[in-house]
Amino acid sequence: MSGARKHRSVGGTGNLAVLKPFSLHNAAPSAWRLQPGHGYMLFAALVLFVLVGEVQAAPARPSIIATMWKWTPFLLQGFAFNILISFVSIIIGTMAGAALGLGQISVSRPIRAVSWTVTQFFRNAPWLVLLFYCIFLIPFEFELFGVTIPFPAWIKAVIGLSLPVMANFSEIVRGAVQSIPDGQWEAAESLAYTRRQTLWLIVLPQCIKRMLPPWMNLYAVLTMATPLVSIVGVGEGMTTTGEILAAENRSDLLIPFYMYLLCLFFIYCYPIARWTISLERKFAVKI
Amino acid sequence: MSKWFATICTVFLCLVAGAGASLADTYEAIKKRGKIVVGVKADYRPWGYRDPSGELVGLEIDMAKDLADTLAVDLELVPVVGSNRMEFLNQEKIDIIIATMGDNMKRRKVVTMIEPNYYAGGTNIIASKAAGFENWTDLKNQKICGIQGAYYNRRVLQLYKIDLVAFKGVPEAVNALQQGSCVGFVYDNTWIEKTLAEGGEWEAYEMPFETEDPSVWAIGVRHEDADSPFGLMVKGKVADWHRTGWLLEHEQKWGIKRSPFLVEMNEALKTRAK
Repeated sequence: MSGARKHRSVGGTGNLAVLKPFSLHNAAPSAWRLQPGHGYMLFAALVLFVLVGEVQAAPARPSIIATMWKWTPFLLQGFAFNILISFVSIIIGTMAGAALGLGQISVSRPIRAVSWTVTQFFRNAPWLVLLFYCIFLIPFEFELFGVTIPFPAWIKAVIGLSLPVMANFSEIVRGAVQSIPDGQWEAAESLAYTRRQTLWLIVLPQCIKRMLPPWMNLYAVLTMATPLVSIVGVGEGMTTTGEILAAENRSDLLIPFYMYLLCLFFIYCYPIARWTISLERKFAVKI
Repeated sequence: MSKWFATICTVFLCLVAGAGASLADTYEAIKKRGKIVVGVKADYRPWGYRDPSGELVGLEIDMAKDLADTLAVDLELVPVVGSNRMEFLNQEKIDIIIATMGDNMKRRKVVTMIEPNYYAGGTNIIASKAAGFENWTDLKNQKICGIQGAYYNRRVLQLYKIDLVAFKGVPEAVNALQQGSCVGFVYDNTWIEKTLAEGGEWEAYEMPFETEDPSVWAIGVRHEDADSPFGLMVKGKVADWHRTGWLLEHEQKWGIKRSPFLVEMNEALKTRAK
């Protein structure tokens, strides 16, 4: 009786009682996700280090911020080299990895065995060890039909970084192809598609969007691994920072400058990470 | 298809013919190329380091410039480090090394050291005055910072049984010293003298010992240039730098403490010239 009256009164204002849809997002415990706030925190850390340094710095010296500003063009030059190395490595690694990944799902047993072995070997070898091998085993220049082809250290480093990228991408390709339900292969076969046609026309097009997020992830990891090449004597952002510190000869610059380099990497890799997350959400397999 | 093949073959033949003209003599090669390629340091102030525009500057860079001017060719500078400079020279990536290279018998087997030497440095440590070191032997079992791969590390380790903590570069080692991770920093005396002269945060530090293990620095060229026109020209140039006081002048320009070695060489060569 009272409920009916209430109903009427609610109805009188023009609103109907509605059961709102169950929101999965609100119900789930909040997940830790990379958010713009994390970037601000990193920037705040940089500012903090600089300020602490400024307070400690002797008054006669130029300020840390002025010094960082002065060296920024040179530091960016070094950082641009990191990006170049990551670009060339991901291109070579992706092409080689695609071939290797398709080799892993080949019908021919020897090809499958070789591809699997190569993939497992390079995927489980430390990146730095592979870099050392490439730097010291590949000659400095090639003599081909009497022509000397110079082979600078940074190209050797690119090859060294491409190898683990290749192996990881090979696994991404294999995983993506195997994630396509078997029913599609069977359906294609019943429609008289050959194996190659099924792979190229039906399976691989669907794989591309599944491979994109892990591939971008791999690229971000590769970019963050590029400072490794400074250990084998290739000049990049890390080397540049070392040279700046040697030129300034001031120990109070050590932490701010490395933090600065870290922020550059974050600024570059962060949008990639965000984009990867949004693509993952977009392509999420709905059951 | 055959047209393509022919084109590729022609290109290849041209390349082969071009490479066939490569010259064994370094002097001729430099002249033909129109530039000399010099291996220098990029992280050793004030010998070879970067200015904020990324240009290499320093006393050794001035030497390289003077050498290029004498030959009337352009100059290309290649940054090198201790572990790759002799390799680069013998692979013909660079024509000559001017990179704070100490002259010793082991290295003489790999490259030819140009005589006269152009500088002499020694080993010393920088430590807090509070540590109160008086003798090299006081360093036994003490944590001392150093630089990875420095030639004097082995000697200091064996003689004084120090506990060496080696770092990649000078700023890292200096930071460790100031943070108290080690009680001293073993390095080349010219750097220590220059740093102490700056004062400021270094007021509380000193160079407590007599400089040891004097080692002369030399320009390096390939063995085949030991008596070639190029090698002889460089030898003459270094002697000239000593005789005319060019090195003393530039030592002062870059704020390096007057080296007795340079004064001695200048005196000796001046008198001999008379």
